[in-house]
Amino acid sequence: MAGYKPVAIQTYPILGEKITQDTLYWNNYKTPVQIKEFGAVSKVDFSPQPPYNYAVTASSRIHIYGRYSQEPIKTFSRFKYTAYCATFRQDGRLLVAGSEDGGVQLFDISGRAPLRQFEGHTKAVHTVDFTADKYHVVSGADDYTVKLWDIPNSKEILTFKEHSDYVRCGCASKLNPDLFITGSYDHTVKMFDARTNTSVLSVEHGQPVESVLLFPSGGLLVSAGGRYVKVWDMLKGGQLLVSLKNHHKTVTCLCLSSSGQRLLSGSLDRKVKVYSTTSYKVVHSFDYAASILSLALAHEDETIVVGMTNGILSVKHRKSEAKKESIPRRRRPAYRTFIKGKNYMKQRDDILINRPAKKHLELYDRDLKHFRISKALDRVLDPTCTIKTPEITVSIIKELNRRGVLANALAGRDEKEISHVLNFLIRHLSQPRFAPVLINAAEIIIDIYLPVIGQSPVVDKKFLLLQGLVEKEIDYQRELLETLGMMDMLFATMRRKEGTSVLEHTSDGFPENKKIES
Amino acid sequence: MAAGGGGSGDPLAPAGVPCAFSPHSQAYFALASTDGHLRVWETANNRLHQEYVPSAHLSGTCTCLAWAPARLQAKESPQRKKRKSEAVGTSNQTDLLALGTAVGSILLYSTVKGELHSKLVSGGHDNRVNCIQWHQDSGCLYSCSDDKHIVEWNVQACKVKCKWKGDNSSVSSLCISPDGKMLLSAGRTIKLWVLETKEVYRHFTGHATPVSSLMFTTIRPPNESQPFDGITGLYFLSGAVHDRLLNVWQVRSENKEKSAVMSFTVTDEPVYIDLTLSENKEEPVKLAVVCRDGQVHLFEHILNGYCKKPLTSNCTIQIATPGKGKKSTPKPIPILAAGFCSDKMSLLLVYGSWFQPTIERVALNSREPHMCLVRDISNCWAPKVETAITKVRTPVMNSEAKVLVPGIPGHHAAIKPAPPQTEQVESKRKSGGNEVSIEERLGAMDIDARKKGKDDLQTNSFPVLLTQGLESNDFEMLNKVLQTRNVNLIKKTVLRMPLHTVIPLLQELTKRLQGHPNSAVLMVQWLKCVLTVHASYLSTLPDLVPQLGTLYQLMESRVKTFQKLSHLHGKLILLITQVTASEKTKGATSPGQKAKLVYEEESSEEESDDEIADKDSEVSDLFPVYTSAFVTSYSKNEAFMNAFLVGISTRIIGMKMRRRVKVKKMRTLMKRKMRMLKEKMKKMVRTEI
Repeated sequence: MAGYKPVAIQTYPILGEKITQDTLYWNNYKTPVQIKEFGAVSKVDFSPQPPYNYAVTASSRIHIYGRYSQEPIKTFSRFKYTAYCATFRQDGRLLVAGSEDGGVQLFDISGRAPLRQFEGHTKAVHTVDFTADKYHVVSGADDYTVKLWDIPNSKEILTFKEHSDYVRCGCASKLNPDLFITGSYDHTVKMFDARTNTSVLSVEHGQPVESVLLFPSGGLLVSAGGRYVKVWDMLKGGQLLVSLKNHHKTVTCLCLSSSGQRLLSGSLDRKVKVYSTTSYKVVHSFDYAASILSLALAHEDETIVVGMTNGILSVKHRKSEAKKESIPRRRRPAYRTFIKGKNYMKQRDDILINRPAKKHLELYDRDLKHFRISKALDRVLDPTCTIKTPEITVSIIKELNRRGVLANALAGRDEKEISHVLNFLIRHLSQPRFAPVLINAAEIIIDIYLPVIGQSPVVDKKFLLLQGLVEKEIDYQRELLETLGMMDMLFATMRRKEGTSVLEHTSDGFPENKKIES
Repeated sequence: MAAGGGGSGDPLAPAGVPCAFSPHSQAYFALASTDGHLRVWETANNRLHQEYVPSAHLSGTCTCLAWAPARLQAKESPQRKKRKSEAVGTSNQTDLLALGTAVGSILLYSTVKGELHSKLVSGGHDNRVNCIQWHQDSGCLYSCSDDKHIVEWNVQACKVKCKWKGDNSSVSSLCISPDGKMLLSAGRTIKLWVLETKEVYRHFTGHATPVSSLMFTTIRPPNESQPFDGITGLYFLSGAVHDRLLNVWQVRSENKEKSAVMSFTVTDEPVYIDLTLSENKEEPVKLAVVCRDGQVHLFEHILNGYCKKPLTSNCTIQIATPGKGKKSTPKPIPILAAGFCSDKMSLLLVYGSWFQPTIERVALNSREPHMCLVRDISNCWAPKVETAITKVRTPVMNSEAKVLVPGIPGHHAAIKPAPPQTEQVESKRKSGGNEVSIEERLGAMDIDARKKGKDDLQTNSFPVLLTQGLESNDFEMLNKVLQTRNVNLIKKTVLRMPLHTVIPLLQELTKRLQGHPNSAVLMVQWLKCVLTVHASYLSTLPDLVPQLGTLYQLMESRVKTFQKLSHLHGKLILLITQVTASEKTKGATSPGQKAKLVYEEESSEEESDDEIADKDSEVSDLFPVYTSAFVTSYSKNEAFMNAFLVGISTRIIGMKMRRRVKVKKMRTLMKRKMRMLKEKMKKMVRTEI
């Protein structure tokens, strides 16, 4: 006796956005925690050392938050004017910040009053950073200068006056203690060397530079300004590698994921975009409620912190994955008998004879096997099935049609059941992948239920809906046919142009083209 | 009291509009809008009392205003009252209103005369006046300015009494102590001056940003152990620009403590603050803070020394429009000012646009932490002005002109232009109330000039939006553009969009063509437009076929079902017409249906009659239960009828057993009855058929 062959479920390509590894990774965050700050959040910086606290600069205050704390665990509020760019040292114990009045202040994380005050800038200091040797601080200010300070004796070591506009961003190299980079509103990014007194490299960004970033290796430089994010190869002397234009407003902040594989950029257009650093394509994007000014990622991308112009700090934590592994599932004793001998390794002389695998039939297949066609149809018309896997429903309808029993299966239904079927039709009739099967089914239903029409207002209404839908679809297809005609024309002109050199082809270009297209 | 700290407090945070309640039982509310108009509203009936436009209202807009203290109060000396009334020349009801301007002059406006009383210019400020305070007893006026100076004015003589440098930077706020001997001034730091000698008595740390409001909160010290010298131990409150904290400071006898004793936190920058003074140490201070986000926060706190944590509000009041229907969501209406009434138990709220505010008295219920009042302000736009009082004549605007109603940025209050008026007089009045600034009028004219091409105006932004949306792949932005139904607009947008966005747009359309016909129809419109407008560009593309291949295939696969679908449509149309036809005739056929129903009832009665004849009353009771089910189903199923009969018989047996009738007798009875029943049924079936 030949076995029952289960119904082949037709698979269709999934429409819409593709789910990539990146979307899974970047969607795997909890709902954001929102913290209201006192002013626009201009800088967020994570401590490089555990417990990975982060410093938030907003208005005239610097708050330090713990990983999961919603209240600041520490506040530095000894600023008379707006504070800028609070940055941690590599060991996470010192914090440096600039100020509107031109001062640079150095704080101990455990203390309250500033350890050092570097006076020398005449205007607001918007960027400060520690050099790689931990003993120097680089600062850039609105007085067009860049200064290098010595921490132990709080003296100014060097001043660079090469920029011709506000210096608004900068960073120090993680590898070389003498190298650092600043970006300015004069559209240039300059690399300075403390050993030479002058800039060693200068690249033209083309827009006021809002943020710069060095890759950990030091070889690549990323600059953001205007709507552009540009990547430069420093080792080739500042060659432009890529220019990215994926925001429609000014890009304000840049950040690297901890693996170095992804680059993040935040912009005034309220979006954060994630780029792959191999292909430089946007692989994911986040939406926020207000214009973004600052952005930071925690160690291992555990937390994304975004500061916005309206003073709201949005903190997203990664969903913990450890939970699943930690609890081993308790198995019932029956499982042991089931698993018995399954992991037996074949010896050399053994001959392995597998027990024929039992074929599992789906419920609707079982019904079909026993010719309970009505029941099989009922089963796949269940809302759980129609919503999640409409292709199964359609495949069953198709199979029934193939067997020639679709009319029987559809017949003998009451008002409720028939409205179920009609609902399904209304929902899926317009989808081109299901249309041929469902149109057939609709015709059969009409044929069957024509005599009893007009008895139930519910069913009548459904038919009316279906009619409206079909009418719309027909109008749409008529429009499409017209458009197709236009496109045929276009393609034909294309064809003719190609064939002008070979004159004999021009005459029958049009039908040939159509053949190719279809 | 009301004069000192209550209604006439300085509301001059740069975020808000200068406004103040009149000190005398808060009968009036003065508001100097940014278009340069001073309007005085009656709080009781929400009517415009007076309107005044200073001659230099465009160059020197009003930056601050303060009501003169009411002269009917008992503590006022009769001598000075006389002098005042002489100066004003009317009854002692006069309320002077001092206006500071951005150019440094100070105007005194008389609400009774409805015109400018005098102007304080000579020797005064040469920069923006930041704050004005009246001295509650001496009738002097104090003002501070961006020129770093504080000036004491003699109002009667319109002359400067004293002028001294108050700070190293601009002085932004002032306040007179309750006993009238001290003066608080603040730029960023706060200073307490002795008025007699003009010397600094105390320093306070102040805020990081310019202090926008200062006011004393107590008039008596909390501990009366040492003799009260008029100032020591008093608390005062300060709020600053861009600061969400209101600090409370205490004047201490020793000069050490400079930091704030406590603070109140609010959700946004405070724009208007009002408080009730606490007279003794048991009485709590009530504080109403209007924030820039349009909410009012109420605090109630007994001030007794240092408090580390910022206090949050006891109650928050919001106003919103009613959401009409399901679609329109309620929009917040910004509250402009709030003042405590003299009974301290209710609050006067001013809300809406400063152009046409609504004033309402709200009773306080501090038990609820959040109050949201639902108000419809769209119907209050027709201003109620008394013609007799209005002194200002403005050009009559025709009803077609667009009325722009400015509001606080960031709020979207429901804005509707006033409905056109029928009466000539009415419209005249109305235009007086609806007056807008020259700039806005110019803006409105600009729109009118381009009205011919209304679509042009929109398409200016549409191509930009479209290119931006395509570049950043912003779903919402694309939706906004692509879901338009206006064919003309589509055409113009396509015409104006840059060439390099054509292919991305086609790809986006390809994605969207797959959906429901409802939305996809719109996309076809776009596609057609792109193809017709950019046909020549497209035909020059070398890789056109691979670019548009998927689109073509997609469309073709969809069109394949066209024939079948049309067929189905024909069937459906037939079906629907039948349904509608039957529905029409339904009314006529309904009596016939009724008749059928009656027939069924009769049949059941017939059966029960039979049962009564059988002297078995219980069975007849049973019958109605079964008959209805039976009658409807008997014709279908023989088996069902059998089951029915068996069911009846068993019930009968049960009843008889209970009555202790002998079983044998019962059985024969049953048999007979069954036979009878069967015959009856058959007869009935026959008649039915």
